[in-house]
Amino acid sequence: VPCVVTFGAGHFYISQSDKGGLVFGGSIDMYNSYAQRGNLPTVEEVCEEGIALMPCLSRLRVLRSWGGIMDMSMDGSPIIDHTSVEGLFLNAGWCYGGFKATPASGWCFAHLIATGEMHTVGKAYRLDRFATGRLVDERGAGARPNLH
Amino acid sequence: MRIPCPYCGLRSHDEFVYYGDATVRRPDASTADAENRFVDYVYVRENPAGQHRELWFHQGGCHEWLVVTRDTRTHAFAAAESARAGGTR
Repeated sequence: VPCVVTFGAGHFYISQSDKGGLVFGGSIDMYNSYAQRGNLPTVEEVCEEGIALMPCLSRLRVLRSWGGIMDMSMDGSPIIDHTSVEGLFLNAGWCYGGFKATPASGWCFAHLIATGEMHTVGKAYRLDRFATGRLVDERGAGARPNLH
Repeated sequence: MRIPCPYCGLRSHDEFVYYGDATVRRPDASTADAENRFVDYVYVRENPAGQHRELWFHQGGCHEWLVVTRDTRTHAFAAAESARAGGTR
């Protein structure tokens, strides 16, 4: 696998290490947790999505798995905004994304801090969108609580 | 993670649908600040690291809505009862 492959029909990504091992991940637990251990039904779901993308994976064996904490927002999209406290800015709720969005979100965040105005690329990620109803439906899955 | 359903016993959590914090209450729509309170009701949650009272629907079992008390750090269950008995609506 020569690059990171993302399976957009589900929620799955996969890449290959230099030693040949496959590194893949995907779905979230869908319940509040700080345990950082994941669960077997979610491992099964991630493997199913991987096999849907690459059926040859079904012959492989899982060496180890990892679970972390994801900062989910109520509509599944991040928040980049200033706050009511002077000098305090917010860049959080990265949900399904993060690493690949780092350069663009960092640029927008720096623009906000330097100028006080949100960059046009990131202006949808306001904190007050939950009160105004301008939610972001990034995944096309619906922008409402309990879906993310 | 296995949830202690009061009707079905210990069952795998993938038989259940999660519906989040069981302590939020629908605000009175006739009050002056109802709009702000509805925003809080729909979007604002405590998300504690520790004991959490939460709603689970036993879709793959008895079809009962449950109020479950779970430690979000360890997934230890302190209680599970019918939502009807608790009057959480």
